Amino acid sequence: QESWTLRFNHVLGPNEPFHKGFLAWADRVAERTGGRLKIDVYHSSQLGVEEDIIEQIRQGANVGQNTDAARLGNYVPGIAVVNGPYMVANKEEAFALADSPTMQGWIEELAEDHGIRVVCFDWVQGQRHFFTNRPVRAPEDLDGLRIRTPPAPIWQESIRALGATPVAMNFGDIYTGLQSRAVDGAELVYTNITAANLNEVLSHANETGHILLVNFQIVSEEWFDGLPEDVQAALTEECRAAGQETSAVIADALEAAKAELVRRGMTIVEDVDLEAFRKAGEKAYEVLGLTEARAKVLADMGR
Amino acid sequence: MTLVAIVFALLLVMGLPVAFAIAGAGAVFFLQHPELPFTQPAQQAISQTQNFSLLAIPLFILAGNLMNRCGITGRLLDLATLLTGRLRGGLAQASLVLSGLMGGVSGSAIADAAMQARMIGGEMIARGMSRGFVAGILSFGAVLTPIIPPGIGMILYGSIGNVSIGRLFAAGILPALCLWLALALTTAFIARRGGWPPERTRRARPAEAFSALGAGFWAMLFPVMLLIGLRSGLFTPSEIGAFAVFYALVIGIAVYRELSRKGLGQAIETSLGDIGGVMLLIALSAPFSYGIILERVPEDIARAMLGLTESREALMVLIVLAVLAAGFVIDATILIIMLTPIVPPIVRGMGADPVHFGMVFIIAATLGNFTPPVGAAMYAVCAILGVPVGEYTRASVPLFLALALVVVALVFLPGLVLFLPNLIY
Amino acid sequence: MQGSGRLARLIGWLQRAEVFLAGFFLVGMVAMIFTGGVARMVGRPLNMTIDLATCFFAWATFLAADIAWRQDRLIAFDLFSSLLPDRARRVLTLVNLAIIAAILAYGVVAGCWLAWVSRARSFQGIPGVSYSWVTMALPVGSALMLVTTLGRIRRLLRGGEDGA
Ligand code: NA
Ligand code: NA
Repeated sequence: QESWTLRFNHVLGPNEPFHKGFLAWADRVAERTGGRLKIDVYHSSQLGVEEDIIEQIRQGANVGQNTDAARLGNYVPGIAVVNGPYMVANKEEAFALADSPTMQGWIEELAEDHGIRVVCFDWVQGQRHFFTNRPVRAPEDLDGLRIRTPPAPIWQESIRALGATPVAMNFGDIYTGLQSRAVDGAELVYTNITAANLNEVLSHANETGHILLVNFQIVSEEWFDGLPEDVQAALTEECRAAGQETSAVIADALEAAKAELVRRGMTIVEDVDLEAFRKAGEKAYEVLGLTEARAKVLADMGR
Repeated sequence: MTLVAIVFALLLVMGLPVAFAIAGAGAVFFLQHPELPFTQPAQQAISQTQNFSLLAIPLFILAGNLMNRCGITGRLLDLATLLTGRLRGGLAQASLVLSGLMGGVSGSAIADAAMQARMIGGEMIARGMSRGFVAGILSFGAVLTPIIPPGIGMILYGSIGNVSIGRLFAAGILPALCLWLALALTTAFIARRGGWPPERTRRARPAEAFSALGAGFWAMLFPVMLLIGLRSGLFTPSEIGAFAVFYALVIGIAVYRELSRKGLGQAIETSLGDIGGVMLLIALSAPFSYGIILERVPEDIARAMLGLTESREALMVLIVLAVLAAGFVIDATILIIMLTPIVPPIVRGMGADPVHFGMVFIIAATLGNFTPPVGAAMYAVCAILGVPVGEYTRASVPLFLALALVVVALVFLPGLVLFLPNLIY
Repeated sequence: MQGSGRLARLIGWLQRAEVFLAGFFLVGMVAMIFTGGVARMVGRPLNMTIDLATCFFAWATFLAADIAWRQDRLIAFDLFSSLLPDRARRVLTLVNLAIIAAILAYGVVAGCWLAWVSRARSFQGIPGVSYSWVTMALPVGSALMLVTTLGRIRRLLRGGEDGA
């Protein structure tokens, strides 16, 4: 009997709920296909940097990657809206995105024109907040603050629109960068802070919730196409199931991480002027030329 | 991986440059895996040069060459001779102090070793120390750089293993002192046995000392300025090499006025030869490392260790020895990323402190940078000084043993490792 | 390289260009990173400085690799080969150079192919800037090293000194 192996790579550490979620996905798929499809999960980018893996995927390799809408937006620009400020409100809305005809069109374009197959995107990392050393309640409070952001232009524009000065910096330098004030803060989710002990160099969590980070599981379209239909179905459906479960776990983990940070003495700023941030965020879509794409997706979702 | 290892050994014995031997071994791995794209080894070689933490290597090499041409090295040497000249192997002792100072600003053992080889390696050989030992002490001395905070190994271990990075940073200081002591004593012993004469026979007169201090003021300030650049947030550890180059340029042109246009051109040209040799090796070893990761070799080694004993100390010693052995061929970063999720939870379950175990583990993994047949810092030093690896290996055995002994001793001295972190946090 | 006439002049010119370019990229890296640190310090971060520095890093690496190879600065374990009689050592050197040439030929072909098939990959997500500008450093560097290697093989076959 024919069998397949998928080597699945992600940038997160082995303690993150996502890693456990990917292992659960692998178990479910192995069980359902009777071991015909095996998923090997590699944490901490062991197989290489995200863009290199995507390149391998496009050449038909049996590798997969956990990625985000900003990166996929390099290939099909519209997809990047999912990564925009205040685009997706909660995890239920993220799950429902799969039914949006606009999204489906983009995902087929990604497969046909670029060889990238999105298996599912029901993996929600949670609300991103600004973590700083002084309280932030309105966009003006971010004025002049240098905030570390992932080095993708869409990300930079979003953070700029919200009032901060974006600084691209590699992850390994964040801790010392904050310690020495090379940057004044970062925008991350609660679990990132506890996992990397960034509370040692950051004092305030400002609950702006400016981006709900939705992750995409991608494989090679050529490789996916070579799988029998029942294996394809197992891979996709278990991806959704494991993703939705993990997203629920994450919601709990975020609460736990928040409580832990309070215990470690971090100040939580909850009275944030969300309306002002929401309004400021609109500018990012204009700058990136995504206003129309955003309107289409919002219409699909009935918002 | 067995065939890959055999091919690698064979190519090395055939005298193929190490960069191409390791590329050939990587090629064998990819030939065994036809499902991988044929462009992947090329992609991985390129990707190494996009790694921001490796950027420090060319920068510090250029800084070292500039310091030679701009008068900083000469004055530092004068000062070091004055202060340590009555010791046998005084310059070697001075190089250890310099590594300690560099440790406060840089996290890269390879960059530090390469810079020092260029700055003082030639002079050490000229003063009668054996070539192999000079390469050995400059390479192994750089162990202090990543263990004195900041260090990339501690950041990796801390973020993957969910351990306080601040505590790890603090925990590095006393063990670094032990490592330094071990290297200094070994050096003194080797110098005595080798009959290397001290460079000075009498104590420096105060006037002499003041004059050398005055002349060497800006040179001495070099590590201090880097520290200020880092602590003030002007640069991150990955960027600090650019500041080192800048400082050497300013001192050479404006203060000492020794750096000519010709000297600048020569410094750049020499740097290019150094960088080409070191970086080609690092780039071409990527496909080989990928094979080790894909087949999860370190994980298999660790799992084999874990069932062997019930005693916490015995298990830690076993792991340290296994990591030292794996470090002969496996890069420190790979070992830390692959083993941190597996080993610490188990030793933690046996009652070990994760910061204590982490420090011991990180030092053991770091030593792999200096041991043949695969060790980037060793290659950097040997390539820059033109020392054959065989000579390096023979001369380095006592240095390696001394450091390995310290690591094993640290297993039994948790109080020493944890004293500062417990004091601060 | 002791080619004859035109070819020798061309190669000599190439080598000078190689040193000049590699030096330019090395100095450019320093300038970019330094500017980036200062700009961030004064609160006006320039994110392109890091991007440019890493792009220069690739080119400096692979151009400098040929400079090191020409200067015979790549380290090797020569314990065994130094024990061989002269004739056997020449054969071994020839075999080694052939292996090196094969690896470099792979670098040229795979590098060019990769640069071509993934020309749509953007560099650091910057629209309109292809990662192929970085990728091309490998095939160009490999081609230069291949020229150096072939020169050594030719010298060796003509009975000159050891090639490697
Ligand atoms: Na350090
Ligand atoms: Na080693």
